Formats: sequence, structure tokens, C-alpha cells
Amino acid sequence: MQVNLMDFWPRILEATNQTLLMVGISLLAATLIGLPLGIALVVTKDGGLLENKPIFNALSSVVNFFRSIPFIILLVAILPITRFIVGSSIGTAAAVVPLVIFSAPYIARLVESSLLEVKSGVIEAAEAMGATPWQIIARVYIPEALSSIVLNLTIATIGLVGASAMAGFVGGGGLGDLAISYGYQRFETDIMIATVLLLVVIVQITQTIGNVVSKKIRRQ
Amino acid sequence: MIEFEGVSKIYEHNGNELRAVDQVDLSVNKGEIFGVIGYSGAGKSTLVRLVNLLEYPSEGRLLVDGEDLTQLSKPELRKVRKRIGMIFQHFNLLESKTVRHNVAFPLAISGVPKKDIDARVEEILEFVGLSDKARQYPDQLSGGQKQRVGIARALATSPDILLCDEATSALDPETTKSILKLLRRVRDEYNITILMITHEMNVVREVCDRIAVMEHGRVIEQGSIFDLFSQPEHPTTKNFVRTVMENEIPASILEGIENRGASRHIYRVTFVNESAGQPVLSGVSKSFEVEVNVLFGQITELQGIPFGHLVVELQGEDKEIVRAIDSIQRSVTVQEVKAHAG
Ligand SMILES: Nc1ncnc2c1ncn2[C@@H]1O[C@H](COP(=O)(O)OP(=O)(O)O)[C@@H](O)[C@H]1O
Ligand SMILES: [Mg+2]
Repeated sequence: MQVNLMDFWPRILEATNQTLLMVGISLLAATLIGLPLGIALVVTKDGGLLENKPIFNALSSVVNFFRSIPFIILLVAILPITRFIVGSSIGTAAAVVPLVIFSAPYIARLVESSLLEVKSGVIEAAEAMGATPWQIIARVYIPEALSSIVLNLTIATIGLVGASAMAGFVGGGGLGDLAISYGYQRFETDIMIATVLLLVVIVQITQTIGNVVSKKIRRQ
Repeated sequence: MIEFEGVSKIYEHNGNELRAVDQVDLSVNKGEIFGVIGYSGAGKSTLVRLVNLLEYPSEGRLLVDGEDLTQLSKPELRKVRKRIGMIFQHFNLLESKTVRHNVAFPLAISGVPKKDIDARVEEILEFVGLSDKARQYPDQLSGGQKQRVGIARALATSPDILLCDEATSALDPETTKSILKLLRRVRDEYNITILMITHEMNVVREVCDRIAVMEHGRVIEQGSIFDLFSQPEHPTTKNFVRTVMENEIPASILEGIENRGASRHIYRVTFVNESAGQPVLSGVSKSFEVEVNVLFGQITELQGIPFGHLVVELQGEDKEIVRAIDSIQRSVTVQEVKAHAG
């Protein structure tokens, strides 16, 4: 049974939409969680602006815990939580929950490493000028690290594109799901190639946008 | 203006105590440029960082304008910090912001209205000579220009005190000179008290009124720049003086003195500015029955004033020599050089 690629086009388009939707929403939600988490990790660290060992250790352990679970296992393990949050354990919305839980701690670590690149001397200069911790976070840490944070978010986005392919497992749809269910399981090689090529294009575009934006920000 | 009273800073180093600053007593007067010199690791950076409480003292008391900052609440401390500017060896500018925004930063975080910020930034950039660079980013500037931005930023809030942590150590000699000149203008025109630390003797020689020498966290010697240059006591101070001026009599000359025996009269004549040695000495040979023989000499500049010393041998009758010394001692410092002591 050979499926014509042209006839199949609407299906590919829908899957692309699903992928972009899953990745977009997950990225947004994961950044909203990961960014403050990353900031919290940096400022509570030993010698940080608001040094606080218990909080740092707690946050760091939680992040490590979620980062150590393989995505495919996370996907299944949190089904009950997913059902609780989105009211269903299948569908595109359901796929977003594990994607967020998967990438938020990752983004937190990426943000942490970006912020740690800010020279301690610059932070100290701001302290010496009488800046409050919040002012230092908002006016020094974030603007100084933003270009690097954008590059790191690009990496996280591409990771999400990859992870979203597995999200087909919970009926999330998307290009990865399409490639597996048609291309791999039904031996429709050209569909598999087409979807994979699309994924390649998405990743390329993401990286290009990330690079351009990051460069722009360095000189806003 | 800044008073250290038995101040120490102790770090724990895997169980061991490290006294980075050890029982320091210092007093920096208002409007003074005070230099702290010492080798790397002497505790200089820790010392300045204590002043604005970037480091918390472990012992002793530190008063800034009569106030013990450790007694202040955090908001109060931040307020005081706005009156203490600080510049750094590596400038520590915000790379993502233009020169203008860097200088505006301390004003912006104090909630100064935008109009006032713009006016102040313009004024202060003019002062440091960077008006034409306002819209550039730090990585488009040379080291000297970056430090000028650092100085402008530190001065933006019109502080009373400026702390300089190795402010010229990353700069070449020419740029160092121009930055030191600027710092002098900061003091002269704004009457700001400057505490600067450095490991370079030519820096303190250029601008400091008084200096303290630090070693192993302790202040081992302090005094006016002229005192420390003319009569350094501690070996470390002598080493520092020697980096810009040979103070010891060279061995070959010493040998000559020793060979000639103890009957010779060798003196070290230290002179400053108008008390310049030559006229004084030539006057001596005219007024007294002594002959002056210069063995060794060195002249340098302290704060733009010539400073130096000559090692001379006086030949003549003992009585005449005593009278001659007596006469020149009114305008210059004279010390007898013992053949064995050097
Ligand atoms: N935060 C710190 N923790 C532990 N030791 C420190 C710390 N800061 C400085 N020191 C130590 O204190 C000593 C003095 O350092 P520092 O003040 O930086 O010297 P300097 O500026 O004269 O080179 C050094 O031995 C240094 O290793
Ligand atoms: Mg230092």
C-alpha cells in the first residue's frame, strides 16, 4: 500500500502545526519556570547575591532529579499528573505537560550557566554602587547574560523538537509521530524522509533565528 | 574620613585561619590621596573592600566619615555606598550597555529623573573627556577609555570617597600617567578623598600624598611620600623604593669607600625641589675650606616635584666639615654614611 506524498501533504502540514504548537507552548511554559529557577540557583549559590544553602540545595536536587529521568519514562510516569492538569492523558495538550517538566529543569541549568558567565566583578561593582539584589538581577544579570540565554534557549528549543517526536507516544501527534507511525511502522520511506527533512528545516531555522537574535541583543 | 582601628579580616582556609588583613590602623584624611602598596596577596584588595563593606571586618572598627557601617541596616548601607565610588583593575563595565548607560547606571538605580540623569552624564563624560564616546560600547574602547568610563560611573553620584583597586595595573605606562592625572583632577576639583591600592611604586610616587606599605595583611610602614622615599625603614619598603629609585649605594662605590678607610667623611644628602642639592653643595665649597666630591646620586620625581639624594665625600679639616654640614643641614637632610653600614 503506497501512499502518495502529495495526497499526504495535508497530514504533514497538520503534524507540522502540532509540532510547532507543542514546542512553542512547552518552550514558553518551561522558560517561565526555568528562567526564575535558574536565577534562583545563581543567587542562592555559595557566595551568591542572596546566598542561601538550604534553598539552593533543595532547588538543585529537584532540578537534578527531573534531569536524570529519561524523557520516555517521564512521559509515561507522569500520565496521572498530566490527566490532572489538562483533563486528559492523550492529545497535543497532554504532550505539553511532560515536555514542560522535561525541559524546565534543563532550561534552569542553561540559564544558570549563562548567568554564571557574567563576571563577578561586574556584579560587585553594582553592589558597590548600592544596587539592591533585585536591581542587580534585573539590570545586570539578565541584560548582561541575555545574549547567552537566547543561545541556550535555542539549544533547549531544539531539544524540545526532538523530545516532541516521542510525545506521539501519548497521542500528541506531530512530525515525529508521523515519521514513526507511517514511515517506520508502515515502511512509507518517502513520508519518513519528508518529515525528517521538515524537522531538519525546523531545527536549522530555529538555530538561525537564535543566532541572529542573540547577536542583536548583544548590541541592543 | 576613613579610619581603620585594629581592623582584621580573617578567612577560613580548610580549617586554617588566614588573616588577609591583620590588625590594621590607618587614617585617611579628607581630600587626601592615600596609597596602599604591597605585593600580590598582601591583603590590599581586601583592605579597600572593607571600606564599603564588600567584605565584613572580623575584628576592629572601621569608620567612614565617623560612621560605623556595620551598624547600618541594608537600605542604609546602600545609601552610604552611593557616596563611595569604586573603580577596578578590570573596569567591570556593563558590556551590554553603552558608555552613557554605564555612567547612568548608579543614578538610574537611585531613581533620579531621566532629565537629570542625562544632564549629569553629559557633564561627567565631559569631565573625563569622553563626550564623543557616549554611544559606544565598552568593547569598542581602549583600556584607558574604559577606565575613564569607570571613573565617570564612580563619580556620577557625586561621592565623597573614591576607592581604586589597582585602577591602572591593566594599563600601559602612558595611559597610566593620564589616568593618574585624571584622578588628581578628581581630588583637586571635587575634593574627593581617594584611597588607592597598587603594587606599583611609580603610581604612588605620581599621585599619593601619603602611603602605607602592606605585607601579610599588616601595615608595616606608613608616612608621607617624602618620608618613605627618603628614609624607608622596612626591607619591603626599601625594595619598593628601589623599583623607582636606587637608594642603596652600589657595592663598587662602597668598596671604594671602605678601601679609603674610616677617616673619610661620606654623607648622604637628600634634597627636595628648591632645596636642590647642587647650588647648596657648590656654595659649601665656596664658603668653607672643604672640597665636595660626588660619589653617587639619583633624582626622581615625587608628585611632580624633583626629589633625590647624592652621596658625597667631603674633604677638608674636621672642623671645617662640621661647620659645612651644619650650614647645609638648614636646607637639606644630611646623614653620615658609615663605611660598613652603607
Ligand atoms: N574570599 C576569600 N576567601 C579566602 N581567602 C581570600 C579571599 N579573598 C582574599 N583571600 C586571601 O587573602 C589574601 C589577600 O588577598 P588580597 O586582598 O586579594 O591581596 P592583594 O589585593 O594584596 O593581592 C590572599 O592570600 C588571598 O588568597
Ligand atoms: Mg588585589
